[in-house]
Amino acid sequence: MNVVSFPGRDLPHDWQRGEMNALLAACGESLDKGTVAGWEIGETERGDPQLYLLGPAPDHECVLCVSRLGRQYVLEDGEGRILCEHDAIGSLSDQVRHALRHKKAAIIARATVVWLAIKETIEERMEPILGEPMELLSHVAPQLVAVI
Amino acid sequence: MHATKTASKAAEARKEAGTWLKELRARAGLSQVELAEKLALKYYTFISQVENGFGRVPTEQIEAWGRALGQEPSSFARKLLSYYDPELHRLLFEVKE
Repeated sequence: MNVVSFPGRDLPHDWQRGEMNALLAACGESLDKGTVAGWEIGETERGDPQLYLLGPAPDHECVLCVSRLGRQYVLEDGEGRILCEHDAIGSLSDQVRHALRHKKAAIIARATVVWLAIKETIEERMEPILGEPMELLSHVAPQLVAVI
Repeated sequence: MHATKTASKAAEARKEAGTWLKELRARAGLSQVELAEKLALKYYTFISQVENGFGRVPTEQIEAWGRALGQEPSSFARKLLSYYDPELHRLLFEVKE
């Protein structure tokens, strides 16, 4: 298991060190593999702490957002969909890990679809180009043989 | 292992969009909670995520956000696009034939 310790810096916005260590440990694997490129902390207008897990460059979009409202944690994706609500940091961390794995699988699936589309386009364009010389060769070859 | 802090042009533009949205909300006299209620969101945390520059207003919610903030939806969408996708905004609205 990867354990990502929270760097020793001040913890504004009411986050506790234990909470941050648990959450960053949950995304350790994704940080290693680049699904998560970084994180930021912030707070709501009411002072409720938020942790934003950011995706890869260049956009660094928010992949997941963890908020603590009173005793409850809320896990949302970057489009505001609620993925989990829990009052135990351990269970929430498990959900963070699960959501990040799901996110990685989705990225791989999207990349595969794009790769197949590119492959198909290249094949479609190359086929006529490759086809013509073969056709020409099939006409010329017997004549060349006859000459020889 | 270090968790890295990140900054990019796109992130800066999202921050600017967030600041603009926050100003519009303040002008409309709404709190984050009240805006979330108008948008039928269960929590107000996503409003904060967007205003802090870490999230975008989803395309399918732009009209509702605009109306909730007292804005005309198409000009609201155009302004948001200038932050979220400046190149597309330039091609659509700034490049002359």
